[in-house]
Amino acid sequence: MTDVITICGSLRKGSFNRIVMNALPGLAPEGMQIKEAPPISEFPLYNADIQNSTGFPAPVQTLVDAIRAADGVIFNSPEYNFGIPAPLKNALDWVSRVPNQPFVGKPIAIQSASPGPLGGARVQYDLRRAMVFLDALTLNKPEIFIGNCAQRIDEKTGKITDEQTNGFIKQQLAAFAKFIASYGGKS
Amino acid sequence: MSDNQLNVIVICGSLRKASYNAALARTLPALAPPGMAVKAAPGWDKMAVYNHDLHADGKFPAEVTAWGDAIRSADGVIIVSPEYNWSIPGGLKNAIDWVSRFKEVPFKEKPVALQSCAGGALGGARMQYHLRQSLTAIDALIFGKPEIFVSFSAKKFDEKTLELTDQPTVDIVKQQLASFEKFIRRMNGRK
Repeated sequence: MTDVITICGSLRKGSFNRIVMNALPGLAPEGMQIKEAPPISEFPLYNADIQNSTGFPAPVQTLVDAIRAADGVIFNSPEYNFGIPAPLKNALDWVSRVPNQPFVGKPIAIQSASPGPLGGARVQYDLRRAMVFLDALTLNKPEIFIGNCAQRIDEKTGKITDEQTNGFIKQQLAAFAKFIASYGGKS
Repeated sequence: MSDNQLNVIVICGSLRKASYNAALARTLPALAPPGMAVKAAPGWDKMAVYNHDLHADGKFPAEVTAWGDAIRSADGVIIVSPEYNWSIPGGLKNAIDWVSRFKEVPFKEKPVALQSCAGGALGGARMQYHLRQSLTAIDALIFGKPEIFVSFSAKKFDEKTLELTDQPTVDIVKQQLASFEKFIRRMNGRK
């Protein structure tokens, strides 16, 4: 079984990206199990003084262990101010400081939903760049940009209503399974 | 070396004779680890400016085919390029645009490492991040770290011989090549 964890860049309960994230287990190919990663919401704002005085906070260590144990990580993230949402960047900044940081050689896939026409393209290219620093293996294609997301996702029922979107996501998850089988498993 | 030696080709993004990037590309064979042979890729300087009409019949110009074949048969590719107007030089982008039109794109799942020299302080960083984006589109396996940004390049090479004289630069390039060898073996070994 391929174990994949998902990290949502939005903390908002009704987040479109969270709805997409919650749909992934049902869209995964056979042999891939997808679960939400431990939360990033309790991470303090990054400050090296914390790490040097009391060590890494427990929620950071918990996420690090989960990333280490996973075969792959999927980010579901909105775009804030054309970039990576601060809660997600803060989490990455914490995780990057742990000895033998867990993203090295780790297969990564990215998905984003936004109400605008680009569907979060700019956050994805920002996130790809941070993933270069973290030395992860980021899946190239297919890319998932869910543009005009309010028309494809029903906020009330918490479901993706657009079959084409489900189809694209299935394709990416299948490609990600292949990518993990080819290149994952070692750091 | 053993028959297990990797065959890596280096593509230079500048055509200028006295190019620092070309000078860096020429030093790579000597700085490569024993498990990796580095040689120059065929030139892209004779390629026409890309126009779909030129291959609408399904036939590609010979120099495009030769470049694509060399990439396809290499175990890995290193691109050493200057930054023009904060981005990829037009000539290099033209070559990439050409080979992206093959049915079997030669860069697909090909390990690729990047290096750049520039006269300024950033050493071509902006070009490299644009190039990473194009290489993502053509599904290359892009090497991560260490990155090679040779800044203030006029100070790192001998003015007359264009020999790379800066020892820290030599050391980091050697480190990248050694890491790139491991990356290629890891990526290809598990396919």
